Amino acid sequence: MKYVDEYRDAELGRAVATQILAETEAGRHYKVMEVCGGHTHSIYKYGIDDLLPPNVELVHGPGCPVCVIPMGRVDDGIAVARNDGVIFTCFGDMLRVPGSTQTLLDAKAEGADVRMVYSPLDALRIARENPDREVVFFAIGFETTAPSTALTLKRAKAEGQSNFSCVCNHVTIVPPLRALLESPDLRLDGFIGPGHVCTVVGARPFEFIPDDYGRPVVISGFEPLDILQSILMILRQLREGRCEVENEYKRVVPQDGNLKALEVMAEVFALRPHFEWRGLGFISQSALRLSDAYADFDAELRFSTPNVRVADPKACQCGEVLKGVIKPWECKVFGTACTPEHAIGTCMVSPEGACAAYYNFGRYQRQREAV
Amino acid sequence: MTNASPLTERHVTEHCTPGDAHCITCSDEGIEMTVVKLTQCGAQCRDPNGIDQRVEIELVEPVETGDVLLVHAGVAIANVSRPPAPNQPAAS
Repeated sequence: MKYVDEYRDAELGRAVATQILAETEAGRHYKVMEVCGGHTHSIYKYGIDDLLPPNVELVHGPGCPVCVIPMGRVDDGIAVARNDGVIFTCFGDMLRVPGSTQTLLDAKAEGADVRMVYSPLDALRIARENPDREVVFFAIGFETTAPSTALTLKRAKAEGQSNFSCVCNHVTIVPPLRALLESPDLRLDGFIGPGHVCTVVGARPFEFIPDDYGRPVVISGFEPLDILQSILMILRQLREGRCEVENEYKRVVPQDGNLKALEVMAEVFALRPHFEWRGLGFISQSALRLSDAYADFDAELRFSTPNVRVADPKACQCGEVLKGVIKPWECKVFGTACTPEHAIGTCMVSPEGACAAYYNFGRYQRQREAV
Repeated sequence: MTNASPLTERHVTEHCTPGDAHCITCSDEGIEMTVVKLTQCGAQCRDPNGIDQRVEIELVEPVETGDVLLVHAGVAIANVSRPPAPNQPAAS
């Protein structure tokens, strides 16, 4: 397929890997964080890490929207789903994310009308088809999915679809990156920037990373050659003593993002003062709520929710995995008590989660020698 | 280390069936889809597996048949066939 096959050429991949090796300094260990869960998935799907020199380490970031949902928010969703007459809709992965006592799938088994949708627009269609029922969409995702939720709510408002509402869990990527950079237990040399998020927000929001923290950022596509080329560009910046935001994904990402998407998001959403991230705690202005103009569609105002913070299970080390402090296989329950079939932590639920990516592609254990 | 050849897609265990390009249950993953037909309420687009879906194109208009769109959760957020305009240069 166009724009796909040419970015999966194994020979070219090996050639870029040779260049990567040439950019590294002997005796130096490089830690590069891929921010987006989509990158994590591609890295292990295509074995990109096997092409890297042993002193180039990829650290998995917090960019999987399912993984960063705290248990309390799942409990809130389940509470809404249990209301009589409610049709509760969400993306497939959310069905299996554990709350404090059960998952949405468990609630469905016990009688709640929980349905999987591929798009919030599907949820709005269900609302049109069921005018005597309340239809709620459990919105998650970064700036990639926020435009679809915003567009859906704009349509719902225009149509006067009063039986439709949304539990908004949309998060933004820049505040957690700043929190990670402030973290004393994590030393990173550079970032593989989230290409699809940048499609919406543009490249400018990431300029604080080189400006304030002196780390290079390369915005990357998701094909294997995209990721290898981005790693090469980061290492080249480090060798040349440069520090800036570069764009490897120029075929898609404009400097200023998608202005239409940003406009509709600005109309529908407002920043929350703070929001809890699994493993990262509360981060200021890191999530979106519905704006006052769309308050009528806010399920959190329409329904009663527990709104209680729930601590992660003691055995779960998703927090350390999300911060890149430990690798998935270093978690005590990885691949034993915690598997994709019976996940304890969120990182094992979504295919974009670091633990699931390792598990799915046969990486039950792995060791690397630091140089 | 695994024995799989780098840049060759690995087989996944049976519980996860992401297909060739993406996980069908995770709508937060971008899918590049080709516009097959423009309709009054969006576009009919074909994914890498040859499956057609209706896609909302309001955020990336104008769109033509044959364009490749980046789709998240049923909504196109970028037109891959039309790279950023010269007056909106990519960062580098």
